[in-house]
Amino acid sequence: MSAVDDIKLYFFHHHHYIPIPEDHERYRTSMVDYPNSLYDPELGHALYERHLRTITRAADVGFDGICLNEHHSMAYSMSPTVGLMAARYLTATRDIPIMVAGTPINLQYPNRVAEEYALLDVMSGGRMEYAFPLGTGMEYWANEGTVNPATARARFRESLDIVTRAWTEDGPFRYDGDFYTYRYLNVWPKPYQKPRPKCFIVGTGSEETVQLAIDYDMGYSIVFVPIKNQLRAFDRLRALADERGRTIQPDDLVIVVMAYVADTDEEAVREARPHMENFFSWFHRVTPRFLVPPGYVTTAEFLRRVSEAAMAKSTEATWDDMVSIGRIACGSPDTVAETIVSWCEEAGCSRVNVVLENGDMPEWKIAKNIALFADEVIPRIRKRLAGGGKDQRELAAAGVK
Amino acid sequence: MAGFTETRHDVNGIDTAVLTAGEGEPLVYFHGAGTAFGFDQLLPLAGRFRLIVPYHPGFGASADDPSVDSLHDYLLHYLDLFDQLGVDELALAGESLGGCLAAWFAIEQQSRVRRLVLLSPFGLRVREHPATDFFSIPDEEVPAHLVADMSLFAGAPVPPPPEFLADRYREATSFARVAWKSPYDRKLTKWLHRISAPTLLLWGEADRLHPVELAEHWAELIPNAEVRTFPGVGHIPVVETREAVDAIADFVGAGVAA
Repeated sequence: MSAVDDIKLYFFHHHHYIPIPEDHERYRTSMVDYPNSLYDPELGHALYERHLRTITRAADVGFDGICLNEHHSMAYSMSPTVGLMAARYLTATRDIPIMVAGTPINLQYPNRVAEEYALLDVMSGGRMEYAFPLGTGMEYWANEGTVNPATARARFRESLDIVTRAWTEDGPFRYDGDFYTYRYLNVWPKPYQKPRPKCFIVGTGSEETVQLAIDYDMGYSIVFVPIKNQLRAFDRLRALADERGRTIQPDDLVIVVMAYVADTDEEAVREARPHMENFFSWFHRVTPRFLVPPGYVTTAEFLRRVSEAAMAKSTEATWDDMVSIGRIACGSPDTVAETIVSWCEEAGCSRVNVVLENGDMPEWKIAKNIALFADEVIPRIRKRLAGGGKDQRELAAAGVK
Repeated sequence: MAGFTETRHDVNGIDTAVLTAGEGEPLVYFHGAGTAFGFDQLLPLAGRFRLIVPYHPGFGASADDPSVDSLHDYLLHYLDLFDQLGVDELALAGESLGGCLAAWFAIEQQSRVRRLVLLSPFGLRVREHPATDFFSIPDEEVPAHLVADMSLFAGAPVPPPPEFLADRYREATSFARVAWKSPYDRKLTKWLHRISAPTLLLWGEADRLHPVELAEHWAELIPNAEVRTFPGVGHIPVVETREAVDAIADFVGAGVAA
């Protein structure tokens, strides 16, 4: 029996602003300084309605949860205040948890984040999970200058300290930090779930964020970075936890998978590939400068990144590059189910954020993808975990890594 | 012409590198938010003065200290360093960020600064003549914002080597610690009147970061200031024209026995 005997599949949604402009080649990035004069609120409204249909559809057909995120000043995301988005989806769905992944706390006062998140948890009767991101470099360009990328990591740690203490300790109490001072830290309400909702750090697997997950007893939700980096980060997390006498459980680790299901592998790739490609080439089009504002990473990390040719042309990666390094599961129900299960077993994780809408995918493909995933993939995953699946040798023979 | 001698000093825990050349009255030059051009262009000053060019914390050959996050921290750092160097009264010059720092030094340490030279200094906010925020400039446009004469970059590798880019990122990080919040130092207007030293403002007329019109505003706020501008010169006059270096020498040397 594998270490992973249960997999929770959360439907993850980006809330892209679609479509891609015809003259998109004029723009070096769809983020930060991509002009908001190109934003059409009527189209935005139609897209919010469509995204609502998509997410409620996923909730209706058997996903274990929903995951929402937050970004600022980009066509990539129409979700600049994820707490509000969560409130809408809490009322549009029943029972299933919502993972909010999440407001970069540095962009808010931490007591406000603690209040808002506790409010959602109480209103929903404990359906909330929270994942805390440092925020991408782009968020720092798009926000007020007081939020300095050169101090982002120190501020993030302090903000996490404030949020978790505000939730778990009885107030009022005084807090004298390097960035924030509270005379009466005393948030109302406190969370419904005790001692607090399940929490994760969101990150790329950097040493600093792995350390935060350990220090604040949180899980780790890793973003779309090469699989080998994910596995290295999870190993590091387990090693650090071991030193503290804590055991990382499979549901402490979340991976994100871009998936598309069709009757055959060939059909799936044919239908999904253009949209997954423009997810990277347009929705994630960004300049190196916006990715790493001054001080956002150490000089050593910056040198490592500029020395890797891949960074300079991250949006020009080929399909084969993407599929070989990232978690893209595109294929028949058998292929997708086996791929996801094998990834979970390899990573020792039981939580998957599944992305079924990629790039400028039309709604019919999204609906078809959701339906096939629910009808054909989820049952295969359940059956496989119950012991009815192929064993590792059969998988290896089938070429599933 | 002899070159600089680099010495290292433990300044309150910060390993600080100092370039010196020449003998005579101390002339300290505070560099700006980047050190890529080096400082050899200042060496003619060593013929008349004890020229001292310290690297700020987090720049060039000096060590990083993330807790140095304001110009006031820089100022106190230099009070410590000058104690170690035995520098009391001095002539002080500064370019860009270093010009703002030199101005603050002269505001707070009036009696020590005999002569002050500010080269296209950072920080004064004049609504009609906004500064260009360095952090808002795309990487490939930075060189043309620093100098007007692009032939200075002839022969430089394109793209620059990773180590060069990392050095610039490190210095941008150090600059961000003090200036990410704003490209202005809003307190200057209120306190520049305290500068008692005769002051020379040097400015390139083609400065794309700090428009040359700002020179007259600085001169109005500093009691005893004169302005000299250089046609066709960008943000860092000393790398583009020997005249700027000579202007420093003549101004600082006025009244000093050769």
